[in-house]
Amino acid sequence: MEEVVLKKLRELIGWDSGDGIFCPGGSLSNIYAMNVARYQRFPDSKRTGIWALPRLAVFTSQESHYSVQKGAAFLGIGTDNIYLVSVDERGKMIPADLERQINKAKSEGACPFFVNATCGTTVLGAFDPLVDVADVCKRHGAWLHVDAAWGGSALVSRKHRHLLDGIERVDSVAWNPHKMLMTGLQCSAFLLRDSSGLLQRCYCANATYLFQTDKFYDMAYDTGDKTVQCGRKVDCLKLWLMWKANGTEGLEKRVDRAFEFTRYLADAMKGREGFLLVTEPEFINLCFWFVPASLRGKQGCADYWERLGKVAPAIKERMMKKGSMMVGYQPLGSRVNFFRQVVTNPMVTKQDLDFFLDEIERLGKDL
Amino acid sequence: MEVDNNKQEVFQRKKNAVLVNGVILNGPITDSKAGEKFVEEACKIIMEEVVQKAADVTEKVCEWQPPEKLKKLLDLEMRDTGEPHQKLLQLCQDIIRYSVKTNHPRFFNQLYAGIDYYSLVARFITEALNPSVYTYEVSPVFLLVEEAVLKRMIEFIGWKEGDGIFNPGGSVSNMYAMNLARYKYCPEIKEKGLSGLPRLVLFASEECHYSMNKAASFLGIGTQNIYFIATDERGKMIPEELEKQVQRARKEGAAPFLVCATAGTTVLGAFDPLDKVADICEKYGLWLHVDASWGGSALMSRKHRKLLQGIHRADSVAWNPHKMLMAGIQCCALLVKDNSDLLKKCYSAKASYLFQQDKFYDVSYDTGDKSIQCSRRPDAFKFWMTWKALGTAGLEERVNRALALASYLVGEIKKREGFQLLLEPEYANICFWYIPPSLRKTEEGPEFWEKLHQ
Repeated sequence: MEEVVLKKLRELIGWDSGDGIFCPGGSLSNIYAMNVARYQRFPDSKRTGIWALPRLAVFTSQESHYSVQKGAAFLGIGTDNIYLVSVDERGKMIPADLERQINKAKSEGACPFFVNATCGTTVLGAFDPLVDVADVCKRHGAWLHVDAAWGGSALVSRKHRHLLDGIERVDSVAWNPHKMLMTGLQCSAFLLRDSSGLLQRCYCANATYLFQTDKFYDMAYDTGDKTVQCGRKVDCLKLWLMWKANGTEGLEKRVDRAFEFTRYLADAMKGREGFLLVTEPEFINLCFWFVPASLRGKQGCADYWERLGKVAPAIKERMMKKGSMMVGYQPLGSRVNFFRQVVTNPMVTKQDLDFFLDEIERLGKDL
Repeated sequence: MEVDNNKQEVFQRKKNAVLVNGVILNGPITDSKAGEKFVEEACKIIMEEVVQKAADVTEKVCEWQPPEKLKKLLDLEMRDTGEPHQKLLQLCQDIIRYSVKTNHPRFFNQLYAGIDYYSLVARFITEALNPSVYTYEVSPVFLLVEEAVLKRMIEFIGWKEGDGIFNPGGSVSNMYAMNLARYKYCPEIKEKGLSGLPRLVLFASEECHYSMNKAASFLGIGTQNIYFIATDERGKMIPEELEKQVQRARKEGAAPFLVCATAGTTVLGAFDPLDKVADICEKYGLWLHVDASWGGSALMSRKHRKLLQGIHRADSVAWNPHKMLMAGIQCCALLVKDNSDLLKKCYSAKASYLFQQDKFYDVSYDTGDKSIQCSRRPDAFKFWMTWKALGTAGLEERVNRALALASYLVGEIKKREGFQLLLEPEYANICFWYIPPSLRKTEEGPEFWEKLHQ
């Protein structure tokens, strides 16, 4: 079943062969990718470690997921060796800066071996431009991994999959159906274009009490040695049964609906006083500030942003104590706390979205 | 299920229908009544086919099919359109039918088996609620439960206080420990990486779990920098050999930093002599991690806990309640003696979209940053539920019974012709050869062993 499911996901990426495995989370999928890339470049390092290697360099956007940091530390690469690539005002990686960073790393004697592009950043929901990024990676011989843990599910929608144009050119993809496709935690796929058994070679330990070579069936089916885990949960069944029930078209409807919610809400916000979009959403992350009446028209004030940054936490506290709804907030770079509204639940209706706007107003109007 | 075409038309005719780009927004697309019915009927199947049959020894443990045949029997294809509920329910039945029944009393294949009703209910609850244990705001109950369970487990190890986290597997716990020990040894490695540093070396018994190998390569240390320590005829690490290897590593100019002792090896179920190993670790300033994924549960038994004598001297312990204590996969804790937030310092990345410092509650409860994971399952809850149901006494009884059953079987094996023990077990692993009648008269020589191997 896992084989069939992974194959389906690979088809949606645009590969007619390849490899993969389900991991306990997108963070681990990203870390797997980093390690496979390292192994591919330096296969001996599995045995010898990376002591004697040149400093390995990793590239990722400023707005990528923090698992890249955690991965670099865990794998012994070191977080200082992550080169953060600038993003534009929409939160998308700037390919020219990636090129600059790679050249910088090379000039410092480091080895640029891994680039992480993000399709659907955590906060803004931005998609890095894969075609251009792939060109840069190809020029420099770097492994290109796409963290599509969040945005990967757009591949199921014929209308919106263009956000991931170029994905068929990458070396590996992390995709979490447990997010937009609602399979239930955990359900995170790590997919590779390689079909030479790289994943197996990278991870295998050939433990004799599990992977005996004298079994009575075709042992190529014993795929557990492709992972760092021993015991592993059955995460593919959730996705498989859900796919059987909804069909690709049913899942597509789910994804399209989420986009339309976002469109509806963004338009509604533009028509309402006090709601200020952080950026035009590319995906289904709708980021906005709620500006209470007391602050409206006061952008000129020196402490405007500082005061605005206190609004979201206060509204959050009120909504949680009331129990009426929950939505996240965070700062980002130089931007003070703003809300990140994400609607993926197909049970949500227009009434829920209208309620959302009304409730923010209700909770924040006297701030 | 999705709203069918007729209903769509009805919606469109209504004056207050809201359409955005052809998608109707003022009615849900999921038919929740049909969905609820599906859940009820599927639960009935699960109840009948899995739960009620669990203890029935007349049922088969496995319904073997070769891979190519099974592919045909199961309609695995994922199509463009969905299938009707009756078909889906049939698929559920097929999946159950052809899956191995690990709950069966005659499933002895792995280091876990059997059904615990309380942990099962806990799993149903967490599956239905679908939480992620990163912050208190999203997962208040399960975070507090994890904290309470870790505290209790720490008490059983014999530490007054400590730290810990639940991981997706003992292999991952072992990796965490290796990374933590490395971080303690040289915190700068988190930022600077290993390139250009002296070669770190770790030590583990030759019968340790293979996750040691996986961890060493994953962490960039390299599998050849694990020095495997010889074991005695009972599969236990020989402390004198450990000391020799540590001295050897130092002579080579390498940097020994970690010893991993195993309490309950995978195959033989052997327990490394923790006190003696701890002495050596103290002498040479090495982090002592005990992989008690399998054997840790013996701590629950006053009669058998002596197998882990000295465990309180460890710096970290991996313990999997999903094995002998039947908490349901996954349920694996990494316990750490340090109480100075070492775990958090080693793993944190302080992501501002999760771990904001301006929340309205005490953010020290947002323990998710101690983990390498982002979303994380509430695995401690299963164990907590079972503990609540059985009490420490009930869990102790479970361990005692397992070891008593093992004892009984050993007694029987010794009496029966054709059964030969490899060694006297100290835990629940009973390793033996079955010598068929055709080989019983043969001398024990290379030919005998070759044939026996088959």
